Amino acid sequence: MACAIRNRIRDLRAARGDMTQQALADRIGVTRQTVNAIELGKYSPSLEVAFRIAAVFGVHIDDVFQFDPEV
Amino acid sequence: MSFREKSAWISFLSILGVFIPFFWNSYRQFSGQVDGPTALSVAVWLLVAFVVLEIVLHAAVAMQAPSDARSPRDERERLIEMRATRVAFQVLVVGALAGVATIHFTRSAWAIQQVVLLAIVLAELVKFGGQIVLYRRDA
Repeated sequence: MACAIRNRIRDLRAARGDMTQQALADRIGVTRQTVNAIELGKYSPSLEVAFRIAAVFGVHIDDVFQFDPEV
Repeated sequence: MSFREKSAWISFLSILGVFIPFFWNSYRQFSGQVDGPTALSVAVWLLVAFVVLEIVLHAAVAMQAPSDARSPRDERERLIEMRATRVAFQVLVVGALAGVATIHFTRSAWAIQQVVLLAIVLAELVKFGGQIVLYRRDA
């Protein structure tokens, strides 16, 4: 099923020296499987987790997540 | 596969593995193939086996990934659990109503107890099965 919220987590991880999903998961307090589900657009995280992800990468939340109303 | 998903698999398969023989045993008692005390002893042993199976398998899986097992459920895992429990509750309600309806067919407290027990087991199967489906869908 298509998700209306897109994200750039994979790109941002790659830009941070190939940060692993597990490393990101540990820093935001979720499981690696949850990070994977978010990356694949299969799960939309809560606002709190979204802010935590943005904080880890040191960017604004809309640099990580984009809403696509057409989906 | 995360610890929670493995845990759901363990519970799902343990319930199947124990409660199919359990209800088969009940059926044999109901149809007079075995006497009451024998059936009761089989049922008690099956329930003990269920508890032992759950403890041993969960401990084995937890030892493989202790930090995963110790960590609290994250928001996605809680959501998956809630969704599966919501569906399971509907199954439990239907089963409880079936238990009530049983009164119109038999006055046997034992039969009514078996229907209610079956409803609980089916609800648990739906809960753990639902969790597995939701975990797999997101994988």
